[in-house]
Amino acid sequence: MAASLALRRDFFSLAKILGGISQLGPRGLSACSSQRKCSQTPFHFLQTSSPFFHTATYLSSTPLTITVTDEPDTLFQKVLVLVKAHDRAVLDSYEFFATMAAKELGITMGKVSEPPKDIERLTLLKSVHIYKKHRVQYEMRTHYRCIELLHITGCTAQVYLEYIQRNLPEGVAMEVTKTAMEKIPDHILEPIWKDHPIDDKSSK
Amino acid sequence: MAASLSSSGSARLMTALARSSVLYNSFESRSLHVTAVCCKNRAARIRIGKGDKPLTYEQAHHPHQIAHRKGWLSQHTSNLKGVEGAAERTVEDVFIRRFMFGTFHGCLANEVVIKRRGNMLVVCALMLQKLPPQKFYFLIGYSESLLSHFYKCPVKLDIQTLQDKAVYKYL
Repeated sequence: MAASLALRRDFFSLAKILGGISQLGPRGLSACSSQRKCSQTPFHFLQTSSPFFHTATYLSSTPLTITVTDEPDTLFQKVLVLVKAHDRAVLDSYEFFATMAAKELGITMGKVSEPPKDIERLTLLKSVHIYKKHRVQYEMRTHYRCIELLHITGCTAQVYLEYIQRNLPEGVAMEVTKTAMEKIPDHILEPIWKDHPIDDKSSK
Repeated sequence: MAASLSSSGSARLMTALARSSVLYNSFESRSLHVTAVCCKNRAARIRIGKGDKPLTYEQAHHPHQIAHRKGWLSQHTSNLKGVEGAAERTVEDVFIRRFMFGTFHGCLANEVVIKRRGNMLVVCALMLQKLPPQKFYFLIGYSESLLSHFYKCPVKLDIQTLQDKAVYKYL
């Protein structure tokens, strides 16, 4: 996904440049040689086993069944999605992904805000034995991003949140706050003194 | 600056100060305070040598470059604010790194990257092409099944192979 590609930039870019055709794998090599001649691979095609291969993670998901019910859908006034991560670039790309998904599904978006980051610092002694004056500081930064969705139904919210959460990148946490709208109960709608005016007159 | 004072330059500086104190009055002489050598940072740094030691990108950059030029080797949410479970994840990570180092002995080209997506553990590694692919596939399947039985969660291995180690610079 677009979100996870941002994480791989430092680590795998160098390897992929040098790995070259290592991504093709033995299946790719045979397909390549059958269609056209690859100048890099005839040497390896002659060997019985190719040294190039690479495995990738394939995420399989079971198809969800659609259920139709008669009961009325819950209405949400506001759905707040707060995402936390250590890396600001990951949050930027995730926010782009979530806003694009909401726009495609036709969900009205409120504001997308960035609450200020939290830094948790620890100060430890640098040396094992003495040297109290020399210390080392470590810090853990938590960046936030808040996405607001307005006037959304329960079904839409469930589908959207499930899609968002399946594509959450590693190292990113999410908190969802839903503000539901409920019908006012009937016994509060009218004030009590309007219904029983006779009681006051009879007590006097 | 402090480093240069504590090494061989200190002797020359002392003699220079001694000579200057002879010319000036004694109450104008400056004293030299040398700090202990432990003030140098040695964490995750490979010292400069003759120029024949090959270093990967990970090894060449110091730990203060994390989040600037380096990424993270272990990605999970338990170090974020308000999330628990950091110690358990760290212990799991240490075990997984030692397990990978031992199972694929001599084949690891770079550090192992561990990612946690939901319940799933994804272990990413760069390998050298020392073994034939059949043995690699067997070791990958063996480690995946063993680790998933051990940690009670789906474990997937992402392996990419290289001819040689990717050298960033020589120190």
